[in-house]
Amino acid sequence: MHYPWWYVPNFTAPMLIAGIATIHVFVSLYAVGGGIVLAGEVSHAYKSNDRPMLDYLRTHTLFFILLTVVFGAITGVGIWWTIGLASPLATESLIHIFVFGWAMEYVFFVIEIVSAFVFHYYWGRLDPKTHAAIGWIYAISAYISLVLITGITAFQLDIGNWTPEKGMWTAFFNPQTIPQIMARSGAALLLASLYIYLHAAFKLRNDVHLRSLVENRVSKWGMAGAALVTAGGAWWYVNIPESAKSALAGASALNILTALIFLASAVVFFMLYFGPYRHPGWLNPGFAILYFLLGIAATGTGEFIREGARKPYIVYNYVTGNNVLVSEIPKLQASGYLNGGVWTRAYLKEQYPQAVTKDGNIDYAEMLKLPVAEQVKVGKVLFQYHCNDCHSTNGFSGLDRLTQGWTRDMISTVVTHLNKAHYFMPPWCGNDAEAVLITEFIQSLSEPTPAGMKFSEEESSEKEKTSNLAAREESDR
Amino acid sequence: MNPTDLIGPASPLGNPAPFWFITFFKVLGLILHMIPMNVWFAGMILVAVFSTFGKNHSLELAHRLSRTMPAVVALGINLGIVPLLFTQVGYYQFYYPAGVLMARAWFSVIVILLFAYYGVYVYSLSVRSNRRTKFALTSAWISSIAFVLISFLFANNFSLMANVNDWIHIYTRTSESGAALGTGLNTADPTLIPRWLMMFGIAITTTAVFIVFDAVFFKRKDTSDNYRKWAGKFAFAFYTLGIVVYAVMGSWYVFGALGESVLNPIGQSSFMKILFPLTAISPGLVWIALFAQRKGLRKATTITAGTLQVFVITLNAVSRQWVQNEEIFKFKDVSQLPVQVQWSPMIVFLLLFVIGLTVVGWMIAKIAEVEKRGAEEIQVK
Ligand code: HEC
Ligand code: HEM
Repeated sequence: MHYPWWYVPNFTAPMLIAGIATIHVFVSLYAVGGGIVLAGEVSHAYKSNDRPMLDYLRTHTLFFILLTVVFGAITGVGIWWTIGLASPLATESLIHIFVFGWAMEYVFFVIEIVSAFVFHYYWGRLDPKTHAAIGWIYAISAYISLVLITGITAFQLDIGNWTPEKGMWTAFFNPQTIPQIMARSGAALLLASLYIYLHAAFKLRNDVHLRSLVENRVSKWGMAGAALVTAGGAWWYVNIPESAKSALAGASALNILTALIFLASAVVFFMLYFGPYRHPGWLNPGFAILYFLLGIAATGTGEFIREGARKPYIVYNYVTGNNVLVSEIPKLQASGYLNGGVWTRAYLKEQYPQAVTKDGNIDYAEMLKLPVAEQVKVGKVLFQYHCNDCHSTNGFSGLDRLTQGWTRDMISTVVTHLNKAHYFMPPWCGNDAEAVLITEFIQSLSEPTPAGMKFSEEESSEKEKTSNLAAREESDR
Repeated sequence: MNPTDLIGPASPLGNPAPFWFITFFKVLGLILHMIPMNVWFAGMILVAVFSTFGKNHSLELAHRLSRTMPAVVALGINLGIVPLLFTQVGYYQFYYPAGVLMARAWFSVIVILLFAYYGVYVYSLSVRSNRRTKFALTSAWISSIAFVLISFLFANNFSLMANVNDWIHIYTRTSESGAALGTGLNTADPTLIPRWLMMFGIAITTTAVFIVFDAVFFKRKDTSDNYRKWAGKFAFAFYTLGIVVYAVMGSWYVFGALGESVLNPIGQSSFMKILFPLTAISPGLVWIALFAQRKGLRKATTITAGTLQVFVITLNAVSRQWVQNEEIFKFKDVSQLPVQVQWSPMIVFLLLFVIGLTVVGWMIAKIAEVEKRGAEEIQVK
């Protein structure tokens, strides 16, 4: 309500965040895990003076840089870009709490960039010791950047003992941070091994000997990763807040997905053990792709669950999904949601100058005297600022389908008891007049019960709805 | 309606650092961002043009620039996040509304940048492997155009931040039921075009200095004396062009676009009375340094020119901030917002900053050694 809301038809603006964040994670985890594996393997290859392995690692480094430094970095900045557009108030808050965490993160980003380029472009021109050291500088700084960002995203799900008076460290060391770091470290190593398989399966198609060696060495990293994912994930699950646990248990989709991740990690662990670890050399492009997709699926699901479990908050107990501070809700309920919002208030005063009180507030009594068609329009403003974070009108999580066949009373009851209907929705933050206005809008949107279904009650309620609307429109004229 | 009605409330969390600290790092960040950004902004255009139409030395220049470009872009983007962070800390009440009003264009920056960046790589790798295909050349063109487009969008957002008077018009014109469609741009603002092209002028000058730097310090083994001579002459001409663009756009910006309400306070500040003219004429110093080596490049003069160019950029960044503050404080003096300093995170950050600089310095020293070893045979005058 502090900022204008960005309307993305059918899709909702926050879904853009989810989309970018997911593809970013696929690459950024590899940027961390791959850095560690590369540094470890390059050191080992120098020690054992393994020229062919070094040559392979060099080609892999170019692949690594092209993916992480470009795609990883841009999508990472992209998340930032998007959260500022789609959740400005939450972003503002996070930035005020964590500005120095992010500032530290950028210090490490710059070290990462410089070390990655030096590692790649000066390959063979630096002495082995320095070269390996630079690989480790990359690995360590990338790892620290993972730790820093994980503390911030973990905070969104569980603020722990933090209150606005407390500083960044309390926020950072919330109950979620360590388990999530563990799970993500595992995912980083696991994904790195799968990326390396994918690359090696094509690049070393005709060099069975070298490929076997790569497979065997990398499988150890991958197995360690799978074990960490499982342990960290389980620990995380034990630590999540009650509401998130309910969300996972209640939403059957999330529930199944959680089980799937554990399953996928276990499967990958055994596939790695019996495959590349015990019987290196059999990896072909097809299997590498399969492995890779499994890894991507598991990681993507994990991140999806992490995001899904947060509702109705963007920052737990501090900022709600509709971009309102929890502390502001009582005031908004009293003064009116539209009246309390900076942009909604300006908008409505422009649109309906007749519905403004002498002291410059929105006059709700006048609003309710507007013709129904106009009330629907005002209701849509409420929808934009109160619901569009999670619902579209007729696309993703569309209210037209969610309220299909509902009566006016049902809609009005859910609207005024949002958090009672589903605890992953925020409470209704408007006043009574606004509840009428948004009900008007949702009713104009709601799809009728599918034709041809014969229950006498349903039919009559359908009729009731239509006749109600017709009657009121009649009375407007 | 009063334009300030659209400015949201201050964060109850308070600013985590004093305002001067936030501004310092915002400006420092912009300086660090501008150096590489200028090189790709004007430099990629040179790469595209000379790769298509160039011969001998100019073609060689295009190839040399494209070899270092991936690293330049990577660094510049990462350094860009620093001012972005501090802008959001100190100026959030202005940054977010501006961003949302032009959300589609602002969001598209990420997509465009992805193309631009891969384009840089495609061309760079093709030059390194000596296989310049049509596809690679097209990529170079796409990159250069994409960068120009992105720079225009940046100028839009950062001018719209301060153009609070137009917010309501853009908002009502480009919204649906009170929610911004994100299709607004700040094109009605008279400062937009000169502001954007003024940066282009500076970008040309920085790129000119970079060309000299590259000729003197990078890949010395493969650099012929002839090329070096040509580069000195070309850089001087290019710098001159940059100064012309800078002067024309700068005058338009200051005398034609900035209003009285911004210029008057500047006229009253004795600090700005010195800083503003200095900002205007500072490129002249670098121009002299480049003039001095038209006939042959010297290490010391090149280092002087480089240092002076950083000075030019610094003056620009500081003046910009001053103007931005004048423009914004008219509506709301954000320097007076409550502060709740986070001391220990700040100290840890500052320590890490110093450690980070040391580590980066160490790595650069290592590659400098390598470059030196490789350059034994060639004497730079
Ligand atoms: C923080 C996110 C969030 C916000 C904000 C939100 N909702 Fe929901 N809502 C949900 C989720 C998640 C569901 C479950 C969707 C599903 O089952 O597909 C839901 C379900 C619903 C349903 C279907 C309820 C049922 O019992 O089937 C209705 C109606 C609804 N929301 C209306 C609204 C309205 C009206 C608003 C705005 C005033 C709103 N929601 C705001 C997340 C949200
Ligand atoms: C994602 C990477 C980038 C980030 C995070 C970034 C960040 C920033 C920030 C924060 C500023 C304003 C600084 C201030 O006023 O304090 C800025 C200015 C600018 N940037 Fe970047 N930048 C990025 C990429 C680019 C690209 C690709 C270009 C293309 C040339 C570019 C061109 C500009 C220009 C022209 C300005 C000046 C805008 C103005 O004030 O008029 N930037 N950048």
